[in-house]
Amino acid sequence: MTSWIAIGILGGLVGLDSTAFPQAMFSRPLVAGALAGLAFGDPARGMLVGAALEIFALVIMPVGASRYPEAGTGAVAAASAACLAGAHLPTQVLILLAVVFGLAWERLAGYSVILLRRENERLVARDTREPPTARGVERRHLGAMSLDLLRGAAIALTGALVGAELLRILGPLWALGSATAAGLLTVAATGMLAAMLPLFGGFRDRRIVFVVGLICGSLLLLLVS
Amino acid sequence: MFVRSFAIQGSWNYRTLIGAGLAFTLLPGLRALYRDEPERLDEAVRRHTQLFNAHPYLAPMGVGAVVMLEEEGESPAVIERFKAAIRGSLGTLGDRLVWAGWRPVCLVFAIALLLLGVRWWAVLGAFLVVYNVGHLALRAWAFRLGWRRGRGVGEQLRRSAVPQLQRVLSVVGAFVLGVVLPLLGSGHLAGARLALPWLLAAAVAAGLGARYGERVRRPIVVAIVGFALAGLLLKLVI
Repeated sequence: MTSWIAIGILGGLVGLDSTAFPQAMFSRPLVAGALAGLAFGDPARGMLVGAALEIFALVIMPVGASRYPEAGTGAVAAASAACLAGAHLPTQVLILLAVVFGLAWERLAGYSVILLRRENERLVARDTREPPTARGVERRHLGAMSLDLLRGAAIALTGALVGAELLRILGPLWALGSATAAGLLTVAATGMLAAMLPLFGGFRDRRIVFVVGLICGSLLLLLVS
Repeated sequence: MFVRSFAIQGSWNYRTLIGAGLAFTLLPGLRALYRDEPERLDEAVRRHTQLFNAHPYLAPMGVGAVVMLEEEGESPAVIERFKAAIRGSLGTLGDRLVWAGWRPVCLVFAIALLLLGVRWWAVLGAFLVVYNVGHLALRAWAFRLGWRRGRGVGEQLRRSAVPQLQRVLSVVGAFVLGVVLPLLGSGHLAGARLALPWLLAAAVAAGLGARYGERVRRPIVVAIVGFALAGLLLKLVI
């Protein structure tokens, strides 16, 4: 029960942090996943799921009025599901399925953000009928933030419940083995991470530092292998 | 006002964007200015709930500058023009500096630590501390600049080191990305040693990602979901 309360609180805070307050980045999947894992006693597993979802979220830019998946609450749901359903599944299969569930759930969370923003419009931008006063603006602004907190908690809690059940039921049906699961996850994550290069200036402009980085990474790989 | 500016996006909406958040953030300053004039206070609040947008970390610059203009007794029309003039710059600069620079660099670095076997709590702590040192420093700098320079913030921004900082971050980002890719592509995230075909597939995926950027996200997501479903349904079919 304590874990579920923690997930509710974490989901609410993560939902709030992603846009409303204070954007200190504990809503990033890497962080949110680890904290969700901590709530269920396995932060390392939570962080692995979070890190994979983070790689998919890195290229998303929250610019202007763009609409995008909400990766933070999706990561809380996916990491919780992985920790709850993970006992009987190989790690690689579990992470792959949790990531796939997280990618789906973060889209749903993204739709909830759109609904909330429309509700905010009704709440704070209806000045044609009722001119805002100082106290009124404060009340409505804090009301909008409270709604966001509740939205995040609801999305994370339902996601954790649904995800855990899905992984429990579907996990044993995985027919391709652990090596395939690890391969699929690695190929997808590598492609997604490399997609960051254009954001840093692209291969043409950054080829020297990028290749030096590749060499350093390869040497590190030899050291840690 | 500085503390309130952390919640400036609290009522983000598609009509006035962070307009209501700006009014909410300005309120302590406006209350101090119009202490004995409740009607002028409400009138100022009405003006500031109109459309406004900025990157959340640079919005304190607008907050500080607007309060300065209100304090100097500038006309509402001048203040509105000023707000319209700075909102584009504050948005674009912040997006480039933070969303496309500081944040991904810190996150890719944190992923590198994780792949190198650093404990989860150390990765978490390092990321949150390093990122938020930059975050808080930027917010404080922006607020102080707005507060001190008022309408001169545009000129100050043009003279600031922000563009050079963006360039440095993109160079560092490309380097860290280069370091992480071999670690990730070799299967460290999934905790497995991969066979040669998977390593080749990862190299091809990296090439496509580097070439097409964020456009690869949708095809990759569709592919991984499709393969996962196939892997689950295979047992039912066979």
